[in-house]
Amino acid sequence: MSETRAVKLPTGGIRALPALPRLNLAPWLYLAPALITIVVWTYLPLIEAFQLSFYQWNMLPTSPKRFVGLANYAHLLTLPEMHAALANTAIYILGLFPMSVIIPLAVAIFTQDLKGPMRNVYRTLIFVPMIIAPVVAAIVWRWLLNEDHGLVNVALDTLGLHRIGFLQDPNFALATLIWITGWKLIGFSTLLFSAANASINPSYVEAARMDGASRCQIIRDIRLPLLSPTILLLSMMTVLFGAQWSFTYINVLTGGGPLKSTTNIFYLLWDYGFGSLSVGWSSAAGMIAFAGFTMIAFFCLRLMKRCSVYDN
Amino acid sequence: MFRRHCLKLMLAGSAFALSSGFAQAQMAASIDKPVTITFYNYNLASASAGADATRDLLREFMEANPNITVKGVPVPSNEILSRVQADIVAGQQPDVAQLVFRDLIYIANDLGANALEVMVPPFELAKQFEGMIPQGIDLGKVDNKTYGLAYTFSTPILYYNADLFRKAGLDPDKPPRTWSEVKAYGEAINKATGKHGFFPGAYGPVDGTFVYQAIAMSNGGNVRDGNKLTFADAEGLEAVQMLRSMVDSGAHARIDVGSHQDTMASGNLGMFLYTSAVQSSLLKSAKGKFDLRVAAMPGFGEKPTRPTNSGSALFVFSKDPAKRRAAYELLKFLTSKQAYTVITTKIGYLPLRLDIVDDPKYLAGWVAENPMIRPNLEQLSRLTPNVAFPGPNYRQVEKMMMDGVREAVFGKGDAAAVLKAAQQDAQRLMPR
Repeated sequence: MSETRAVKLPTGGIRALPALPRLNLAPWLYLAPALITIVVWTYLPLIEAFQLSFYQWNMLPTSPKRFVGLANYAHLLTLPEMHAALANTAIYILGLFPMSVIIPLAVAIFTQDLKGPMRNVYRTLIFVPMIIAPVVAAIVWRWLLNEDHGLVNVALDTLGLHRIGFLQDPNFALATLIWITGWKLIGFSTLLFSAANASINPSYVEAARMDGASRCQIIRDIRLPLLSPTILLLSMMTVLFGAQWSFTYINVLTGGGPLKSTTNIFYLLWDYGFGSLSVGWSSAAGMIAFAGFTMIAFFCLRLMKRCSVYDN
Repeated sequence: MFRRHCLKLMLAGSAFALSSGFAQAQMAASIDKPVTITFYNYNLASASAGADATRDLLREFMEANPNITVKGVPVPSNEILSRVQADIVAGQQPDVAQLVFRDLIYIANDLGANALEVMVPPFELAKQFEGMIPQGIDLGKVDNKTYGLAYTFSTPILYYNADLFRKAGLDPDKPPRTWSEVKAYGEAINKATGKHGFFPGAYGPVDGTFVYQAIAMSNGGNVRDGNKLTFADAEGLEAVQMLRSMVDSGAHARIDVGSHQDTMASGNLGMFLYTSAVQSSLLKSAKGKFDLRVAAMPGFGEKPTRPTNSGSALFVFSKDPAKRRAAYELLKFLTSKQAYTVITTKIGYLPLRLDIVDDPKYLAGWVAENPMIRPNLEQLSRLTPNVAFPGPNYRQVEKMMMDGVREAVFGKGDAAAVLKAAQQDAQRLMPR
């Protein structure tokens, strides 16, 4: 009896006190590695970036940090480059959707019914782009897409079509980069969808079939609802990280050009920080991106909670 | 926390290094003990003749100076300044670095490079400068002190594909001398062969600003006047409008600004204005495929051209007197007659000691066999320093200028309006 009383009223009674630290310390100890890592690598840099966004500094310890108030933000918001970058970020995200969600979903569902080794061959082929190093992939694409001697343009030429400056025509460059980023992603998304699809309890499908459901009905009423957590997860990842995944290709292939048509917020903040050594601008751009994506993430999480269908 | 401590330590470390550096402004008179110095070099990072030639030079230097070991640190040219800065911050003091002129003011004022006048006894320095071209030495100066010793230099030269000239009915022995001729030739090549007419290496991520500055300055323009930006003013604007009119007429290609050299090397470009440093590479690509020739850079009407330099200077960062001596010995060797013979013949840079050009002991034989160096040598007499930007935001200013130029040349809007807007935006970042 006295034991339970001590737990119920932890602040009362001297005898209850020694039990307290033991009870509360253990979970913190277990959490410590994760918490320390997240604080050191995420929250401290975030706070420092927030501070730095009010300073003019070139990251050299010997040069002074000059407090400039909101000037960095004011500069950024008036720069046409920033507007282009924000608009492009949205286009990257929208453009990646078909390749990170829709096509992989279709591939996963339709290859599920394939039998024997063909299924693995098919899925391996789709997965291969994923394991190619991004810089290598970028350079191979640069060769393929070269306007004068790239294989793609040679093919267009033999078909009697116009050659396209995939990476130098501002009308095509952004679409080209979205395609390359998406091409790398298809494998990853297909893998996740296949795994989720395979884990759907087959008895649902059998039961539906016995009730005379067609293939389309099974997909529509059983598979898609049960895949909805994965669909929403991948959609959220695309929204939050899609534009980041394109960074390597922007950096290797276009440097944000031609005429800023392929730059996005992540490339811009890297370029300010390490291209022109202006940590204040870079941090301010980072804070703007952080604020925007926090709101989007919050909205996405609510949406996910509301729309997902969970088995059991 | 950890990071903050690190930063503080670094701060303290570099402050200490700085103060001890002031205490020992001199360098050792000679080297008695083995010493190792680092040499940050971008030729070493390239996959071209430049890397081999540089390795050969370093080997030769170490054989002649057995007490000195030089550790080459290869870093690509567009990253080398950030790398030097990062290593200084991390407490790994670089000794010698090959850096480009755009960062000159920053290197002298912020990175703490040693001024040669402070480090080296005057009589020694005078001996070193003797025979080097004065325009070259001037380029490494900030406030009348030499921080960078001119090392590898080149000016923009016009490469042209003589086969495409012939196909377009042009005389390959008469390369264009003025921009209006370049325009006419470019249109002719584009129409007759379907290939690209002209392209300057002025817009890409690794091109810097020297080709653009050379074009603008040849028309009498300049990118800045003191702390006032002037790149969108009369003559500079006119030069950009000239490029734009060539783009509109089809004479100036619209190709990937990052792979212009590949386009030239593959025989798809008629005329290419770029650094002479890629001459060896281009010649290698063209061999047996097409007839590659070079000419001096074109001018505006009868105005003499004002080629600016691409290329680099050697900066000494060492704080230790013995390392300073070793670093200076390396500088002396790399700018000697013998080294320039290697640098010119193997890489394609200019010899900054003109007396070796006609000296049979050094370059005379090679120049006779390779007359392609002549346009570049001839331009050297009119060499105009590449203008670097001042202040803590110099890189953004430069970037905004080049973004403006790209937009004006390739964009849809009015070139004058675009360039003026860029100048106005960038002016706010200049020191007052």
